[in-house]
Amino acid sequence: MRIVATYSIKGGVGKTSTAVNLAYEASRAGTRVLVWDLDPQGSATYLFRVRPKVRGGSKRLVGGGELAAHVRGSEISSVHVAPADFSLRHLDLHLDATARPAERIAALLEPLADQYDLALLDCPPSISLASESVFGAADALLVPVVPATLASRTLNQLTAFLEGQDDPPRVLPLLSMVDRRRRLHRDLAEALARDWPDLLDTAVPAAAVIERMGVERAPVGLFAPRTAAAAAYRALWDEVAQALWPATVA
Amino acid sequence: MPHSFTAADSADATDASADRIVEALGSWGFEVDAPVATTRTLLDTFDGRLHRAGLRLELRRGTGADLVLAAGSGSPPAVLPWSGEAPRTVADLPAGPFRARLAPQVAERALLPMIVVRSQRREARRRDRRAKPVVTVVVDDELRCVDQPEAPLPAWFAQVVPVVGHDDDLARTVGRLRGLGVAPDDREVLDVALAATGRTAAGRTSSPTVPLDPADGALDAFRAVLRNLLATVVDNLPGTLADLDPEFLHELRVAVRRTRSVLAQGRGVLPDDVRDRFRTGFGQLGVATGPSRDLDVYVLGWHEAVAPLQLDPSVTDPLLAALEDRRAAARAEMATVLRSPATEALLGDWDDWLTDPDVHAGEGDPPIGEVVARRVARAQRALLEHGRAIDRGSPAEALHDLRKDAKKLRYVLECFGSLLPAKPRKAFVTQLKDLQDNLGAHQDAEVQLGALRDLAVELHERDGADADVLLAVGRMIGELDRRRQEARDDFHARFAAYDTKRNRALLDELARRARP
Repeated sequence: MRIVATYSIKGGVGKTSTAVNLAYEASRAGTRVLVWDLDPQGSATYLFRVRPKVRGGSKRLVGGGELAAHVRGSEISSVHVAPADFSLRHLDLHLDATARPAERIAALLEPLADQYDLALLDCPPSISLASESVFGAADALLVPVVPATLASRTLNQLTAFLEGQDDPPRVLPLLSMVDRRRRLHRDLAEALARDWPDLLDTAVPAAAVIERMGVERAPVGLFAPRTAAAAAYRALWDEVAQALWPATVA
Repeated sequence: MPHSFTAADSADATDASADRIVEALGSWGFEVDAPVATTRTLLDTFDGRLHRAGLRLELRRGTGADLVLAAGSGSPPAVLPWSGEAPRTVADLPAGPFRARLAPQVAERALLPMIVVRSQRREARRRDRRAKPVVTVVVDDELRCVDQPEAPLPAWFAQVVPVVGHDDDLARTVGRLRGLGVAPDDREVLDVALAATGRTAAGRTSSPTVPLDPADGALDAFRAVLRNLLATVVDNLPGTLADLDPEFLHELRVAVRRTRSVLAQGRGVLPDDVRDRFRTGFGQLGVATGPSRDLDVYVLGWHEAVAPLQLDPSVTDPLLAALEDRRAAARAEMATVLRSPATEALLGDWDDWLTDPDVHAGEGDPPIGEVVARRVARAQRALLEHGRAIDRGSPAEALHDLRKDAKKLRYVLECFGSLLPAKPRKAFVTQLKDLQDNLGAHQDAEVQLGALRDLAVELHERDGADADVLLAVGRMIGELDRRRQEARDDFHARFAAYDTKRNRALLDELARRARP
């Protein structure tokens, strides 16, 4: 099982829509996916129509529970969801109470390694103990970046933080919420590509159809498969799959 | 374990039963899809490798077409949209996790349709207040096996598909269906179809061993063993002709060799005219299929053989293409023989004799246990005598002949294996196999050296192959020669490990216990 986290220090950059749509596109490519919603807002949980309930709360889960007991099926047969609820707002505290907080997320995922090909962790925006635990588990961090003047600085902060970690995950930045009609977006996208050689080729557009996910409660590919946004998420999955399964990708 | 339901008796079941289920589902708040003509093809290797690994690969055609790869409970199915024919090998699949899961199990083997089932399929799902499915019921009716339409399938079959985390909905649905008085089943519809056609998801087995009693008459016992071997030849013939997987030809050839060996061992038991005719006939079949098998082995092992030499693909690819051309030509020649009236007559007449109720043993037909004990002892004597006579100066043919001696012994031990105690027999065969592996490695390298030399000459004469290609062939010949010499150097140690007092005593004990 490969573990990928959609992560950013900033909020509102498209982490959840990336996680939900990537889960759908991965499933369409024959991948068994577990989405673990770690954000107490529970947006991914909502979009997959799963009840936002962690039985016993995140304290019990982190303090010795089994993640499998919380997993729920979704509309998409090959995508399962470990839902979020509001108790996750105290995730840092609960992790801090464990013996090895930085390894706890990995330890919770480990028993499920044979059941899924991909675990997608949708993270809240912050750098915290929970983030460190995610970094300890993840093979890659998928970092949505909006074309803004401080975008590069945000990425720098993250990579500087990861430099201090043992065996840090690979950072895969991607452009999110891009409006190609705006000159500023085009210029900033070019500048980011120059500064960040690992920047993924796919740019997810700013599109009304992505906002409609909240109404449809489904990934874009399920209700608007012929849109540019759906095509972007398909292309994004192709790139991520190349990065995750290089030995099997011709 | 699947939660399934079917008609209590297929003869009593009617379409109304499936409709009754669907009606009931509707009344319980399930949304029911319109019926869809569905074809499901179970894919596996000829020897059921996916089944053994706990995996199930299915091509499902209905409103769309998907490859579905399912594992045990808890893990979701992997679904890959698929158009066109079923994949024939894992190389036909796109790169990614789906292929990565299958590749270690399937390797280079072909994916074959184990069973194809058509039905009218209705799916019904119940949703919760968030409109998320919490349980699904799949109802198949008008079930039919495509290649065996007369197979007795139930008129309808319903399976409850759980959604993870919704055990209550599963239990409630199963309970309600039980309440309708239909028969519970713990299989999936493809398993039902496999059973109805007498097949198994475990794939083919070509065991040469048939149940025998040491006191059975020798003639009947030999005929039982030979009937089983003929069944293996016939079973593997279509797959060989269709070139579905090299294993079909391999199994066919092994059965032919075993047949010849058992015929040879049947002196004094089987009528001489029968032995002579069919030994010759199966000998010709062995000769006709030999070049194809040699080239199969060569092509299958090509990448492994070439990889350590780190040769440029632009040089080795034309060589592989030439080998594949040769293989195709050899296959065509072989197919002509296998489809010929002579082969048809050989197999037909052989079946007639083996199943003729008027063939009776004459006076003095010995018990099979006695015959097998003598044959085992004789084959071992020949093997030891010839092996001990080989020294560093012996020609390669001496090792080749010894390999035949080892096969003779192995075939008696396997074909009449039910007469011998299982545990010591397996222990002895392990020792014998170790010696055979050494002799096989030597022989394979010899054969491949010859084929490579022929190929180099042909390429040079036909196309004026450039120096790089010939140099590459030279390096490959050098590598094969090294392997041949390595096997040769290793022979004496291997033979000494076989020719031990303990091993000889083990075989004597086996022979003794075969006697009635």
